[in-house]
Amino acid sequence: MNYWVQRLTASIMLLLAVSMLTFGAMNLLGDPLFNILGPAAADTKPESLEKVAAAKELYHLDRPLPERYVRWLGDMVTGDFGVQFSSTGQPPVSDLVVERFPRSLTLLVMAQLLASMIAIPWALITAARANRPADRISTINSFLLIAMPNFALAVILKYIFGIKLGWFPLTFKATDPWLTRIYQTFLPALTIALPAAAVYQRLLRTDLITTLQEDFILMARSKGVSRRRVLLRHALRPSLFSFITVFGINTGALIGGSLIVESIFRIPGLGSAIVEAILREDFPVVLAIVMIITTAFVIVNVVVDIVYTLIDPRVRR
Amino acid sequence: MSGLQTDGRVEQGRLLTVENLSTTFATERGPVRAVDQVSLSLDRGQALGIVGESGSGKTVLSRSIMGLLPSTARREGSIRFGDHELLGSGAVDMSKLWGREMSMVFQNPMVSLNPVMRIGEQIAEPLRIHLGMSRRDARATTVRLLRDVRIPEPERRVDQYPHELSGGMRQRVMIAITLACGPTLLFADEPTTALDVTVQAQILDLIAEQREERNMSVVLVTHDLGVVAGHTDVIAVMYGGRLVEVAPTAVLFADMRMPYTEALLQSIPRLDQPSHTRLTAIPGRPPDLLDPPRGCAFAPRCAFARDRCREEAPTLTPADNPEHRFACWYPVGSAEYLETRERIASGLTIGGRS
Repeated sequence: MNYWVQRLTASIMLLLAVSMLTFGAMNLLGDPLFNILGPAAADTKPESLEKVAAAKELYHLDRPLPERYVRWLGDMVTGDFGVQFSSTGQPPVSDLVVERFPRSLTLLVMAQLLASMIAIPWALITAARANRPADRISTINSFLLIAMPNFALAVILKYIFGIKLGWFPLTFKATDPWLTRIYQTFLPALTIALPAAAVYQRLLRTDLITTLQEDFILMARSKGVSRRRVLLRHALRPSLFSFITVFGINTGALIGGSLIVESIFRIPGLGSAIVEAILREDFPVVLAIVMIITTAFVIVNVVVDIVYTLIDPRVRR
Repeated sequence: MSGLQTDGRVEQGRLLTVENLSTTFATERGPVRAVDQVSLSLDRGQALGIVGESGSGKTVLSRSIMGLLPSTARREGSIRFGDHELLGSGAVDMSKLWGREMSMVFQNPMVSLNPVMRIGEQIAEPLRIHLGMSRRDARATTVRLLRDVRIPEPERRVDQYPHELSGGMRQRVMIAITLACGPTLLFADEPTTALDVTVQAQILDLIAEQREERNMSVVLVTHDLGVVAGHTDVIAVMYGGRLVEVAPTAVLFADMRMPYTEALLQSIPRLDQPSHTRLTAIPGRPPDLLDPPRGCAFAPRCAFARDRCREEAPTLTPADNPEHRFACWYPVGSAEYLETRERIASGLTIGGRS
C-alpha cells in the first residue's frame, strides 16, 4: 500500500517537472505573437500595437511566466489544454488532441499486437533450435530488419502490398468508417511492428535459451512432458522479463506517434502534430502532446511492474 | 506400444539390465567418454547405490540409463528395461516411460522446481499427461501424495510456489512428483547433497519407506559411502567412467577390495575420532577423460599401484564371491598390497604417490 502511495507521488512529481521544463523551454524559443498576428506583430503602427496588446491580453502573454504556468496547469488538470497559438486559435488544443490521439493509439496497439504475435512464436521456434541452421538464418533476418531504416521498410511494404499486390490502401482517410481506417492502418502498423518484433525476438530467444538450461526444465522433461509443452508451459513464462521491459519502453515511445511512418502513410496523428506545432511555435499543442507522452510513460511503467508480479510470484511482496 | 504401467510390467525379478553401456560426449576438444563399458543389473524392489567422487561419471551413468542427455551425447551398448530395449533402433519412446515407469529426483531442489508454477500443478502434470486424470482427480491425488511425503497441511501447500517452501520441503515435493504415477524405477541423483544434515536422513528414510511400500527399484547416486550404507542392497563404485567395484552392500563394507573404495571410505569424517582430526583426502585429481591413462585410471593416485597398473587396465572380475566383482591387480588384502602398506607404515614409500 505504502509502496503505491510512493509510486503515485513520484509519478506526479515527474509530470510536474516535465511540464515545467517544457513550459520554460518553449518560452525561451521565440515569440508566438508572430504566428497569431502575422506581420502585424512586428509593426509599430498604432493599430498594430493595439492588436498586439489585445492578443497579449487574450493569450495572457502579458503576465509573468510563473503565473501563466499555474494558469495553464490549472486548466490542464480539468482537461482544458487552452487555445492554439494561431490566428484563429481554433480548434481548441483539446479538440485537436481528441481528434489525433486515437489514430496514433490505434497504430500503436496494432503495431505492438502484430510485433508480439510475430516475435513470440519466432523466439520459441529459434530458441528450441538454438545455433542450428534455421536459427542462424533467422538471426541474419532479424538483424536485417533491425538495421533497415523505418522509411525504407515503409516504402518497400507500400510498394509490395499496396501498389503491386493491391491488398492494402495507400493512404489514410480520416472520414472513412473506423473499420476501414483500421484496415488502412495495417501497413503502417506492420512497418513499426517488424523491426520491433525482431528486437523482441532477439531478447526473448536469449532468455529462453538461458531458461532452457535450467534444472527445472530437465526435471519437467523427466516427468514425460513433451518438448512443446516444456517450451510453452515451463520455459516461456520465466523468460518474459526483458521482452516485457522493452515492450513497455517501446509502448511509451510510440504513444506520441511515429513521425516517419505517419508521414509516409499520411496518417494525421500525434507524431505529425507535434512536429508541426514545434515549427509553428504553437506552445499549447506541444505542451499537450508532451504531457500525453509523459503520462503514457508513467502508466506503462506501472503496468510493466504489475505484469512482473503476475509473471513471477517471487516478485510479489 | 503399451506405455507399460500395466501390460508387461515387471512385478518381480529382473527389471533393468545394462550391458556394455558407453556414453561419449562430442566436445570442442574431442570426444569425452564419460561412461565406459558399464554393465549392471537391478531387480524389482532392489536398491542400487552408485558411488564415486565428482567427475567419476555416476550422474552421467544414471542419466544415460534414463536417456536424459544433451544432444551432444552418444550412447552405445544395451539397456533393457523389462521387455523393452531402450537403446538403438526400435527403442521405445522415452517420454512415454519418463515420469510413468521411471523418474528422477534431482540434486538441488532449489533449482529443480519451476519457480513460477504452483507445486500442485507441478505434481499434477504427470498425472494429467500419463494417466489422463481430470483436474479434480489430479488435485485430490496431489494432496494425497503430499501427505505421503509428510508435508504438513497439504491442502494449503498445493497452491503455494516453491519459494514459499524450505529446501527439505522442496525435496519432498520433488519426491512426490517422481512418485506420482507409481514408477517401478526411481533414480535419486545426490538427493540430499544440497540439504541440511538434519534433513538428509529424513529424505533418505522417506525414499526407503516409499520403496518398500511400492516395491520400487531405486538407483541412489552419491559421493557419500555413508549414505548408501544403510539404504541400498548393492553398491557399484565408479571411477573415471568405469565400474571399479560392485558388491552387495554388506559384502562390500565387510571386505572392500579396491583401494579406491577404501580411500573413499577413509575420506568420510568419523564421529568416533577426536574432533579436529585431519580429514583423509584422496591425493590428485580424477583422470582427464579426453586423454585417459593407459592402465588403471586410478593408478596415478593409488598408493599401492605398481608398474603393471600403469600399463594394463584391470577388468571387473569376480574373486571368491561371484557377487563381488572388482577391477584391481593388487586388491586390498593381496600380498603386494600388504607389502606396500608395511612400507608406508615404516616410513618408506615407493613411487606412485603423486
